[in-house]
Amino acid sequence: MIGQPGPHAGKSLLYVPGDSFIHRLNPLTKLVGLLWLAATTFMLPPEGMAAIFVAALAFGVIAGAGRAFVRRLLFTLLPFAIALFVIHGLLIERADTIDYGLFSLSADGLGYMGRILVRVAALLTVSMLFVTTTHPAILLKALDSHGVPPGIAYLISSPLLLLEPFSTRARAIRDAQQARGLDLNGSWRARAKAFPALLIPLVTLALSDLDHRASVLDGRAFRARPFRVVLDAPEDRPYERWLRRTLLVALPLQIGLAAWL
Amino acid sequence: MKFDTRTLVLMAIAIVINIVVGQLAVWVKLPLYVDAVGTVLVAILAGPIAGAVAGVLTNVIWGLVSDPVAMAFFPVSLVIGLLAGFLAKAGWFRTIGKTVVSGIVIGIISTIVAVPIIVYMFGGVTGAGTDFATAYMVAVGTELINSVAIANLATNLVDKILTCVIAWIIVSRMPGRFTASFPFYQKANA
Repeated sequence: MIGQPGPHAGKSLLYVPGDSFIHRLNPLTKLVGLLWLAATTFMLPPEGMAAIFVAALAFGVIAGAGRAFVRRLLFTLLPFAIALFVIHGLLIERADTIDYGLFSLSADGLGYMGRILVRVAALLTVSMLFVTTTHPAILLKALDSHGVPPGIAYLISSPLLLLEPFSTRARAIRDAQQARGLDLNGSWRARAKAFPALLIPLVTLALSDLDHRASVLDGRAFRARPFRVVLDAPEDRPYERWLRRTLLVALPLQIGLAAWL
Repeated sequence: MKFDTRTLVLMAIAIVINIVVGQLAVWVKLPLYVDAVGTVLVAILAGPIAGAVAGVLTNVIWGLVSDPVAMAFFPVSLVIGLLAGFLAKAGWFRTIGKTVVSGIVIGIISTIVAVPIIVYMFGGVTGAGTDFATAYMVAVGTELINSVAIANLATNLVDKILTCVIAWIIVSRMPGRFTASFPFYQKANA
């Protein structure tokens, strides 16, 4: 089980340590809020999506995660924007396409590109707001304290714990194979041959640990009881519980209303 | 459905494998994803439900760790896990030839699931290399949805065949005492 986020929290995660209002919210409230906002994004006109994007970005900056937001938005949205511009702005023929000689441009296509881009930006910023302000360890404590079975908690926590050692192991395998003459910069055939030489040792090593890990877990009787008691569960204020209930009721109603209209 | 501890550990390891394999693909500079090797491995050893859970959690955890866009594609991973499990149950991972056929089936069906997500959620683009192929197809007059389908089918077929073959090689190389403790695998290969 992961402990409290330490000084190096966020090293391999998008989480940005902080003590903002968003950080202090119960992770389940943020999770339900994320689901509700993501679903709502699909029901709103572009102006509504843009408002969600701006609000989530502003909260991200207030939470101290502005740099992570900008980096991720640029990294994800830039290739998206270029591909959308080429396909919808330049290539797809529409009724309003105007030929400028070297290229032709469609205002409708650019409008469509804008709508998709603002929706992806809204979804991205909302999910970024969740992941940059919620450490997985705190999320797990919130799940545990709400009676989530230990098996499910293990399935979420264990991969998060194993990611860093596995990445280190993968680098060690790469270095060892390169020392034995593995070519990662040659022709595509040489690189294609290199792929299994990196992958198969990584997977077989991981599987060879399986019995040991399972024995340790069984030895600790981690599933002896249907749920675990958390000593320092994240605070769950009454208004947050009511907010979650309201959003969970609103969600299917909104979807039904959107489908009906 | 309650999984035994070994299956739980296998699923956790498979999720990490799915995520770390993306890094290997970057190192060899090949246009591969191969990010479902762990999912297929779990499906072959422990069945369709375990495969589907491992697939969905891969996308959720990937989203939490580094790429929130990955969460949108969880239905694709779910289908890959389920399909691989059902194919394994029907004996379609017993030989290399059958494994290639399984890869083709998974490649086609996972493309059918992925295309609506790419087209209606992301306007037909993924921000990856397949966008060049999509743009080319659109430029020569193919409809957007067909362009996305053809571009993604081509890459997905190669990717999923490779994924299935790698998973099959790994499972067939594992010692008998390792695979003996997975009743689903024993039954499927009896």
